[in-house]
Amino acid sequence: MANDLNSPVKMNMSQDAQGKWGMVIDQDLCTGCQACVAACSMENNVPFVGEVDAGYGRNMQWIRIERFWSGSFPDIKMTSYQPVMCQQCHKAPCEPVCPVYASVHSESEDLNLQVYNRCIGTRYCANNCPYQARTFNWRDYQDARQRPELVTLQNHLNPDVTVRRRGVMEKCTFCIQRIRHTEDTAESENREIRDGEVVPACAQACPASAITFGRIDDPTTQVSQAAVTSRAGHLLEDLGTIPHVTYLAGGA
Amino acid sequence: MSVSNTLLAVFEDIEPAADGIHKLHELGVADENMNVISGIPIRPAILERPSAVTRVGQIALAGAFLGLLLAVFFVWGIPYLFPLDAGGQPVYPWPQLLIIIFEMTMLGLMGFAFLGMLVDSGFPSYTPKEYVPDISDGRIAVLFSCPKDEQKKFVDALTKLGAKSVEPAEARQL
Amino acid sequence: MSAIAKALPRLRPEEMEDPKEHLMHDPMPRGDMNTMVLDSMHTATWKYWTVVTILAFIVVTCLGYAWYYLIMQGLGVSGDDRPVYWGVFLVNFVYWIGISHSGTLTSAILRVLKIESRRPFTRVAELMTAFAIVNAGLSVFMHMGRVWLAYWMIPYPNERTIWPDFHSPLMWDFMAITTYLICSSLYLFLPLIPDLAMVRDRSKGWVKTFYKILAIGFRGTEGEWKNLHLAMNIFAFAIIPVAFSVHTIVAWDFAMAIRPGWSSSVFGPYFVSGALLSGVAAVPIVLFLVRSTMKNMKYFLRPEHFDTVGKMLLIISMIWAYFYFNDYIVSWYGGDKWEKILNLFVQTGPQWWLWYLMLFCNIVVPWSILWRKKWRQTPWLMALVGILINVGMYTERYIIVPEMLTINRMPFTWHSYIPRVEIILTIGTFALFLLLYFAASRILPLIPAWEVQEGQEGHILRKIGKARIPTISEID
Repeated sequence: MANDLNSPVKMNMSQDAQGKWGMVIDQDLCTGCQACVAACSMENNVPFVGEVDAGYGRNMQWIRIERFWSGSFPDIKMTSYQPVMCQQCHKAPCEPVCPVYASVHSESEDLNLQVYNRCIGTRYCANNCPYQARTFNWRDYQDARQRPELVTLQNHLNPDVTVRRRGVMEKCTFCIQRIRHTEDTAESENREIRDGEVVPACAQACPASAITFGRIDDPTTQVSQAAVTSRAGHLLEDLGTIPHVTYLAGGA
Repeated sequence: MSVSNTLLAVFEDIEPAADGIHKLHELGVADENMNVISGIPIRPAILERPSAVTRVGQIALAGAFLGLLLAVFFVWGIPYLFPLDAGGQPVYPWPQLLIIIFEMTMLGLMGFAFLGMLVDSGFPSYTPKEYVPDISDGRIAVLFSCPKDEQKKFVDALTKLGAKSVEPAEARQL
Repeated sequence: MSAIAKALPRLRPEEMEDPKEHLMHDPMPRGDMNTMVLDSMHTATWKYWTVVTILAFIVVTCLGYAWYYLIMQGLGVSGDDRPVYWGVFLVNFVYWIGISHSGTLTSAILRVLKIESRRPFTRVAELMTAFAIVNAGLSVFMHMGRVWLAYWMIPYPNERTIWPDFHSPLMWDFMAITTYLICSSLYLFLPLIPDLAMVRDRSKGWVKTFYKILAIGFRGTEGEWKNLHLAMNIFAFAIIPVAFSVHTIVAWDFAMAIRPGWSSSVFGPYFVSGALLSGVAAVPIVLFLVRSTMKNMKYFLRPEHFDTVGKMLLIISMIWAYFYFNDYIVSWYGGDKWEKILNLFVQTGPQWWLWYLMLFCNIVVPWSILWRKKWRQTPWLMALVGILINVGMYTERYIIVPEMLTINRMPFTWHSYIPRVEIILTIGTFALFLLLYFAASRILPLIPAWEVQEGQEGHILRKIGKARIPTISEID
């Protein structure tokens, strides 16, 4: 049936997928160095919006380091850094509000998928994301015809990831291209994926090893074990979105 | 039926028109051989006429039913053909179905009420018809057919009752 | 007995209202009425053409060119940012949908309730509906990131084998607005048919051909009237719930989102009352403009009609206040952290004055003016009240969309919003609305002469005791 080609549920995800994925971020280890932000942008062709648009609050990084302080001057105490990206909710509020199925759910992997070429830019998903994890292409940031300063930068683009044009919503994908790559390697070597074999760009770049990635449907993995410790928590847990990113904090 | 002629009697007001129609009944013109053309809607009872038959209601109801089926197809049929998971919501949701059913039923109802009005009245039609422009100035025209040889009798009777003119009706471009 | 008689001062004949003040008791031969309506359509002074030229220029530049620029550059030229993904375009959308409730809904309610003073001004209001929905649609298209793919929301079998997702409130919105646009256009057209036939009978040459096509061959036979009447009845009853559903679904676009301020179960009726308030408030503005700029309209549009609209406006303003208080007290009393921050931001934040402006325009203005009949019957004052209420309702939507989006559950992303190209495009949509209305006022008869005559036939002055009392007999 020709329909299968257009249905991610039937096509890749259910047959070849090797499990549900999750991430653990240790806030006690995070130094706020922004290396993950840079690595993510490089890996996923996230555009630089420029000074002016950044001033308008249109940064497009898929991951951001939130930093807060408590107390009032001069007794200011920094709280721990909080890297926030798409939480890959099990019950994602961003998904049902899309009128054209541009944000759908991969049942088998429990990931939120964003289909760029289906997006028509209503931006409802971004409004309905309680984590503000989605970013929007306000302009053709990657188009060298519109931004001459980019001409020399064209070669940095990652060929595994689509370059998005203006008017399209995007967000962290858990480096799905890396998951796929590892899955393919494992399949060709006729074995299961090892724990810690899939490393998203942010985790790879983190000098403090604050980010761990792995399967959450397997209780023996690092992420599953970290997620059941008493330090574990989720962002805005009370909303019932069941996010797949676990934060560890308060242990010291 | 013998050779008959169609006449168009134009009245200034409702009262003489009602009298005229009463007279026509007396002279033996059946209701189905008569029609009233007016610039405002007039209750049939005022003119001693039977109520016109309309199928607009039935057509509108049929449209409403079609709209309902279409809504069910939209909300439940599409996911059946292309099941996609979104936000942990059921693939065949009830609340959404109710909303779309309401909208599509109403669209069907009103759209077909309009179409029914067109079909039942034979609109749009641009063929010549029996009509005088005076009607939209508030005059009332009575269109009736009578035997050709008795035409004079009818004309006299209606003129006496206050008809402005009683003339053989000719179809003309509106 | 004598106490009562003393308490009531005797009403002298000269103190009684002159029945002739009512259009229904001031009849005129239909022929003269037709001439007056045609006259008003055909009289176009140099002032009219000047205004039309200016409006057309604004539409071409502020709407046409600015939108072209927006599409080519992307939404970066607007003021939207993270987290304010929805800005003035969505404000305009809600506003114009609200205005669209002026005509069809008002006229349907008045028709169903058989309020006789509706007769001359229903079309003036219904025209606003059609043009306001056009503007609402344009606002959504302006808002979309990839507007050239907007047709992907239409459910039809396509080569992409992808259908729209009816889980999304935007799809409900799409279906509801499509239904409303189609149905209210037809509802505008139905009572227009006899009037178009009237114009057809009185024009020559190519103009006659034009109206002949529009009048679809209507003569006014018994069957035609019956069908028309029944169809209009079906529309009048069915379009009221549709209009309610349209604005309820617009409210659901917001209420379905899990955001502080938006996620409120009272949003549906609250938005409907707001739409009615701004929509009905737009009626006296247009009535005033039509009455004071077009020929012969002082006969048809009288103080009594402003009075009718004014009474509706007062009630609706109270209903709006009731729902607003409902929404407010629940979020205030609940004490949710985010709701609290949001309320504080709206009332004491950088744009605190918007909140007070909204309360002033939507509550203080109507409640202090509309209770008095004499003021309700003063056209310019009613137009002013209408404008103020519209300012208030626009402000209300501005508070709900960009201001409430500023605050979310991730304080790190809070960012304020300042509209940029949206301002120009907003001016453009207003100009388009006026331009369409100006054009329609010369093409379509603004007064349904047949309905006015039908009403006048049914109204009589009946002598009861010593006074002549206006009465109405059941005629339709």
